[in-house]
Amino acid sequence: MTTFAEPTITSPNYSAPKSKGQSKGRLFVKWITSTDHKTIGYLYLITSFIWFLIAGVLALVLRAELARPGLQFLSTEQYNQIFTMHGTVMLLMFATPLFVGFANVIMPLQIGAADVAFPRLNMLSYWLYLFGGLMAFGGFLSPGGAASFGWTAYAPLASSQYSPGIGGDLWVIGLAVSGLGTILGGVNFITTIFTMRAPGMTMFRMSIFTWNVLLTSILVLLAFPPLAAAFLALESDRLFGSHIFDSANGGAMLWQHLFWFFGHPEVYILALPFFGIASEILPVFSRKPIFGYKGLIAATIGIAALSVSVWAHHMYASGQVLLPFFSFMTFLIGVPTGVKFFNWIGTMWGGSLTFETPMLFVMGFLVTFLFGGLTGIILASPPLDFAVSASYFVVAHFHYVLFGTVVFAMFGGFYFWWPKMTGRMLNERLGKIHFWTLFFGFHLTFLVQHWLGIKGMPRRYADYLGTDGFTTLNTISTIGSFLLGLSMIPYVVNVWISRKSPKVMVDDPWGYGASLEWATSCPPPRHNFTSIPRIRSERPAFDLHYPHMAHTDGGH
Amino acid sequence: MRAGYKLFGFLAVFYAVVDVVYWLMGGEALGITAIGLSGGLALTIGFYFYTNDKRMGLLPSDNLEGEIADLAGELGFFSPHSWWPLPLALSACAMGLGLIIGWWLTVIALGSLIVSIIGFTTEYEKPGLTSQH
Repeated sequence: MTTFAEPTITSPNYSAPKSKGQSKGRLFVKWITSTDHKTIGYLYLITSFIWFLIAGVLALVLRAELARPGLQFLSTEQYNQIFTMHGTVMLLMFATPLFVGFANVIMPLQIGAADVAFPRLNMLSYWLYLFGGLMAFGGFLSPGGAASFGWTAYAPLASSQYSPGIGGDLWVIGLAVSGLGTILGGVNFITTIFTMRAPGMTMFRMSIFTWNVLLTSILVLLAFPPLAAAFLALESDRLFGSHIFDSANGGAMLWQHLFWFFGHPEVYILALPFFGIASEILPVFSRKPIFGYKGLIAATIGIAALSVSVWAHHMYASGQVLLPFFSFMTFLIGVPTGVKFFNWIGTMWGGSLTFETPMLFVMGFLVTFLFGGLTGIILASPPLDFAVSASYFVVAHFHYVLFGTVVFAMFGGFYFWWPKMTGRMLNERLGKIHFWTLFFGFHLTFLVQHWLGIKGMPRRYADYLGTDGFTTLNTISTIGSFLLGLSMIPYVVNVWISRKSPKVMVDDPWGYGASLEWATSCPPPRHNFTSIPRIRSERPAFDLHYPHMAHTDGGH
Repeated sequence: MRAGYKLFGFLAVFYAVVDVVYWLMGGEALGITAIGLSGGLALTIGFYFYTNDKRMGLLPSDNLEGEIADLAGELGFFSPHSWWPLPLALSACAMGLGLIIGWWLTVIALGSLIVSIIGFTTEYEKPGLTSQH
């Protein structure tokens, strides 16, 4: 039924990792000099999760300040620094590298590769990300504090005239360095997917997650170079007094265009890989193949193609963009997203569903992201957008979109692939407590912010008056945010106690795994496979484990 | 490779069409340039895949009937571990920091950057080892 072969790999100094009797120092050196895509992936996942916790604490500080009218314990400048760094860390040091982490660990396994195409470049990307992030965050230690111009760094606010101080410079340079790491990561993934697939793993037999990693990497190549260019130009303005983003010659609009030409594809860079994770989890817990495999891929390509033509919907209120074009394109990009929802529901339709923790988190993702998508349709319409622009309605919208995709799908992916990554299962009971506190905490925090925005509360304000009528909703939102913060405790406890849980002895603990990572041991050996099954469909591991149900697709 | 040039070719054509539409509808210069450059990027990568596809023919990974044994034998060289990415990244960061802190740091960082790049690129280029990989 299956063919086995043993490809050999030349590694002059390589000896099998010694699992026993390794000192802490040797383990440390092994990790920091690693070129193993899995180890680098774990470094990415661990580092980005720590950034998630740090930025989460910053968010709690903001919510605590906003709970009641009046300034209780922050100055307005501190408030500005904290919301700037909250946004920056969440988007560029948590969510983007989280994609790189998942892609590093899972994608080579799913295509049957021994490693990524450029293992050392992979490690270089990680170091650039880590040091760039530390540099940007290190602004808090500088005399003037961290950057305080918002994560969008609009001109002329981000100029040295209005935002003096080394914190802003550290922010710009740090993000440029970490952006370089992201670009190198994208190059690495594209090369790996095109050149290192196992024989028989044709493009249209790749898992949906791998497809989404491919399209996300293409978006990285399109979006991050303009951002790097904009950052270097901004730094040239700040340090050397050039006038690239000088308002006198249209610099304010130039910055907004450049920033959002990066910023909107960035939203899809954050969304697509996590759509991919959901598309991996749903079929396993529905006991059905993914519904509309090619439709999902077409939708992903559609999103990637359209995403470069919608950037100026972030700039409606500037009054200087082509409203009909951007509004139409924004409505249009809702279509492939709707196709994805159709396919996810079609996958569950008539399946024998079970609700283990990964599946619960995917349910949370579907519900939350649907809400965010619907308010996105509202914001795509210029007349409606003018009414709520730069209010808490927008804050609620993008938290539903980003938290819904990134955080819910991330935890889904953690619970789903934990046995593959560590060889041990996470506890189901704690996982369920984790899910429900996270779910209620999140919706309590952000649902009420829609009404706050409609009532007129602007975003990025440190304070409001008791007579504004915002107090009750703000207090509810703050209570929700602390519940959301508490939900991290069951997760951390779960991770801690999973050290002692029994070893997973089978390749596929969930029983219905489809893609190739479920055809190797938990955790996989150094170069991933001791043997690879024959690949004849997009479910090679399923075909291996259920030979009587295996089918060959005969080519698409 | 065939799927590769079709994918990038589609993206190049799509961006070109969007660019023309945006231009004709009266879009501003930066957007026209940026979408046009996106199309250029897709075209470049697509053309590379196209020439490779013509040159290499059907690869085992694109073969619907491909067997794992088709790639049996030596798969390639993979670095087992490496120290070089760390100093290379540190030097790049120091170059950036030098802009803020002072030119003296940039000069030092430039030196260590050059050493790191040489170390990184020639790590496996040792004479006598070349015949083994």
